[in-house]
Amino acid sequence: MLEKLVNGFESHLFRNRKWVIISFIFITFFLGYQASQLKMDAAFSKNIPLNHSYMQTYTKHQKDFGGANSIMVAVEDTSGNIFNPVFFDALKNVHDQLFFIPGVERSQVKSLFSPSTRFTEVVEDGFAGGPVIPADFRNDDYGLKIVRDNIEKAGIVGRLIGNDYTSAMVSAQLMEFDPQTGEAIDTIAFANQLEQELRGKFENDQIKIHIIGFAKMAGDVAEGAKGVLLFFLIAIAITAVMVYLFSKSIMLTILPLMCSLIAVFWQLGLLTVVGFGLDPMSILVPFLVFAIGVSHGVQMINAVRRRVLDGQTTKAAAASAFRSLLVPGGVALLSDTVGFLTLLAIDIGIIRELAISASLGVAVIILTNLILLPLVISYFELPNKQDDPEKRQKIENIWRALSKFATPKYAVVVLISTVILYVVGFQQASKMQIGDLQGGAPALHQDSRYNQDTFFITDHFSITTDVMTVIVEATPEACTYHSVLTQIDQFEWMMANTVGVESTASLASIAKKVNAGFNEGNPKWEILPRTTASLVQAVGQVPTTSGLLNSNCSVMPVYLFLKDHKAETIEVVVDKVKAVAAQLNSDTLQFKLASGPVGVMAATNEAVSEAQLPMMLYVYGAVFVLCLISFKSLKATIAVIIPLYVVSTLAQALMTLLDIGLAVSTLPVIALGVGIGVDYGIYILSTMSNKLSNGMPVQQAYFEALVERGSAVIFTGLTLAIGVSTWFFSDLKFQMDMGILLTFMFLVNMLGAIIILPALSAMFWRKK
Amino acid sequence: MTFSMLRSVVAIGISACLYTTSVDAQLDPLSVQIQPRAQSSLLLDIANAGDKLVAVGQRGNVLLLDDNQWHQVATPVLSQLTKVFFFDDKQGWAVGHDATIIHTQDGGLTWSVQMQSAEIEKPLLDIRFYSPVDGIAVGAYGLFYRTADGGKTWQQEFHQELLFEEDIAYLNELKAEDEALYLSERASLLPHFNRLIRLKDRRLLLVGELGMVAVSSDNGQTFSKTNFDYDGSMFNAIEVGEDVYVMGLRGHVFKSDLTLSSWQEVDLPVQSSINSALINANNELYLVGNAGIVLSVDDGKATIVARRQGENIVAIAKDSKGQLWFAGSKGLFQLD
Repeated sequence: MLEKLVNGFESHLFRNRKWVIISFIFITFFLGYQASQLKMDAAFSKNIPLNHSYMQTYTKHQKDFGGANSIMVAVEDTSGNIFNPVFFDALKNVHDQLFFIPGVERSQVKSLFSPSTRFTEVVEDGFAGGPVIPADFRNDDYGLKIVRDNIEKAGIVGRLIGNDYTSAMVSAQLMEFDPQTGEAIDTIAFANQLEQELRGKFENDQIKIHIIGFAKMAGDVAEGAKGVLLFFLIAIAITAVMVYLFSKSIMLTILPLMCSLIAVFWQLGLLTVVGFGLDPMSILVPFLVFAIGVSHGVQMINAVRRRVLDGQTTKAAAASAFRSLLVPGGVALLSDTVGFLTLLAIDIGIIRELAISASLGVAVIILTNLILLPLVISYFELPNKQDDPEKRQKIENIWRALSKFATPKYAVVVLISTVILYVVGFQQASKMQIGDLQGGAPALHQDSRYNQDTFFITDHFSITTDVMTVIVEATPEACTYHSVLTQIDQFEWMMANTVGVESTASLASIAKKVNAGFNEGNPKWEILPRTTASLVQAVGQVPTTSGLLNSNCSVMPVYLFLKDHKAETIEVVVDKVKAVAAQLNSDTLQFKLASGPVGVMAATNEAVSEAQLPMMLYVYGAVFVLCLISFKSLKATIAVIIPLYVVSTLAQALMTLLDIGLAVSTLPVIALGVGIGVDYGIYILSTMSNKLSNGMPVQQAYFEALVERGSAVIFTGLTLAIGVSTWFFSDLKFQMDMGILLTFMFLVNMLGAIIILPALSAMFWRKK
Repeated sequence: MTFSMLRSVVAIGISACLYTTSVDAQLDPLSVQIQPRAQSSLLLDIANAGDKLVAVGQRGNVLLLDDNQWHQVATPVLSQLTKVFFFDDKQGWAVGHDATIIHTQDGGLTWSVQMQSAEIEKPLLDIRFYSPVDGIAVGAYGLFYRTADGGKTWQQEFHQELLFEEDIAYLNELKAEDEALYLSERASLLPHFNRLIRLKDRRLLLVGELGMVAVSSDNGQTFSKTNFDYDGSMFNAIEVGEDVYVMGLRGHVFKSDLTLSSWQEVDLPVQSSINSALINANNELYLVGNAGIVLSVDDGKATIVARRQGENIVAIAKDSKGQLWFAGSKGLFQLD
């Protein structure tokens, strides 16, 4: 039935091949145009599990306590002392320049030079104070001495001035929309402006500029992602050489590469059609599409050439190759698609996007490389040139040697080694960490400028980017109640006494300090006054811009500054928050997780680690069902799945060894690896299983499978691995991680299919 | 804003305040109190109890130094403790906010509450016993309590003689018109009594807000103000040999002989409030204060010993081995 359908389809297609090709050309032009409209898209919200309960709290209070989209610019004087006229000129210039960059919330630009930077001191009859940089400031020794004294009084060392007086900070908030045009701020363009207008203009031998903040990071990530184009060209070049070595024909090299590139254009064009942008993470997909396309293209030209050598015309050979490959190729590509689609189960925008764009891309290959490619080939005349028989003999010797893995003697050795590898791998895999393991922005390398800037700022200022915010929701005017602030104070104290928490801040602890200030700065008055009037007086000194309360003080965050953002640190803190909150929560007062960079990480870590098991179950379930359908044999299915499983475990062990944490970027890798890795086993075993059920000995069946498919399988493994291995050199840390893991998965799954699979078969089909 | 204005705001607040919220879910007080960071959080006083040191501070925290190791003991209160006093190596008292007085009979290991009254909304700031049973506790807004039974009962006293003359006139006027208002005003017109020390000749010296330096020869039944020119707050006082020093706001330290009749200002190189003092060997005076200041005063000349950024130092003490300990906003520490 299926055969009839395929035959009918074939004759129809080949009869109208001109029109089919023309329509392909039109579609390619259309989608190529769409692809050219593709935009880089690095939206923050795609990277986080928006439906996670922490993130709902985060989103709810983002307006009041956004704060995530801030920019910090540290101006450093490399001479080691900021109190000189050159530095103060530079600092003022940076302040003014940042003030005028569109998108900056001008009222929030803070530095020594902002009028809101004031000092207050207690004097006999109350408070005295003024701006740290006086109105009549002169940039000379005398003026700088006054500023220096005021800095001490203002208590801004560590915030606006580096702890060692070698740098000063200019910070700003980024708005979401440009107030003049009403359009959303283009984060990446903003980052470019920071680079040009600040670093470009003011950095010199004496003055160094360090810039951090989400917008800058997004800009650097986008910049790093541009390098991917070069990697893509390199991957094409290497693949072309390999296909040429395989096919020995320039025409047969160009055609599959061209069809695979068409698949890439289509996939990119479809992204625009469905409304996606290109994300630094889903840039992976064109590589995969290209590599998978080439490996299927190679199968196609291989099949055509063999038939030409058997004496058919090229057109007849192409038609026949089409008929024989449409179903197995289609099944293999479908199983890839299903493998990718399982990623939809994970509730993180970017992973879903990856799932959709990858399955689109793989589905497209069915059209371009299983249909278009044979049609195009049919227009050419392939030379009927036999392979050198001596060479053919050499290759057969290799297959002969490999086929020994299917004998019981070798099988035992292979299987015992596999078990040992698995046990060792499993131990390592169970130590796999969740989340980001390194300091700074995890997307970028440790030695990237951005992370170096981050380290500079965290080293020289009392500022950490590892902040988790617990949102305290209460009733309006709650901050005027002694009981409410006392509970917040006790909560903060319990958290301060948690391993991994370096320091804390909240309205309660600030109010205590303000109260001491109202009592002549006497530390004995660092308490929350019971009298409402005194409490209001203390709380009233804290502006909403401090991020410690909202406008009616019904919401008061507690900031936890952590020693790092490793998953285990976060987990301890989150558990403690939950335990203390469970005791304190009431109808009118709720302590809720979480906001701040580490709050987002906590949610992501939880979502990622929760998604891991279901994702593996779905992927393996899908692979299991597909194998069962195509082999109709449980033994064959198990023989395919066991090597896959061992390799997945080894990949996790590799993550432990290389300090790669399970994160949004690495989570999908295993699903992708299994989805594509299963192809090898299906190719090998599908040729074997018929022969085995006809009673052929396992070794002979395996040998014949190798002769028929072996070179294509090995070639596929290498092509895929090369495509993603160019990522080792990416400026983006997560692309490098993904590159390493995918290369490993593709290569080792291939080895598993030609070494472990025959050994398992030797055991399963021993009696026959 | 001046502090007398502030004070009237507070006074209105006291009369207007009603407790509007019910008691919500609470943490176990002991788990709030006994925490690893107690040692590195706000501590306000250190006293010697025999061979031990006893430090007190926020959340009713008490820590003992025994064998060169600080360890925390439980107390029955969460109110901030401001001062601790030991009569001998066993009998001790600590006072604090919410007019709290707690007592120990075993050198600080266990504590019981002798007095606590959150409704008063004023802190006690010092306590002193001049016999095993006779003691005085003083605090904010002229708070003054006396016991004659080792603290089992405490009687409040009002030291009208320490009021300013214009306030006395105002109060007398008020008393005739409105008894209730008179009482509530009276409760906030006296200056803060920050520190009470006993001189070797058994006179009591009381220092406090608004340049109050007063002396009593009758165990505190009556005080008389000394002739003191400065009108900022005095936080502490110490007797060194034949001299008495008082110290306080913005680096103001004054010295007088035992007649307490003429105070000479000691020049300090800093303008930070001085919170406490200690006599080291050779009558060398150590002063500690806000902005992390440690000074030594020798022969009337003050020099900076240490300056710890972002930290207020409130207390200084010497342990049995002669080592100095400091307490303040970042807990207990020694100088390197």
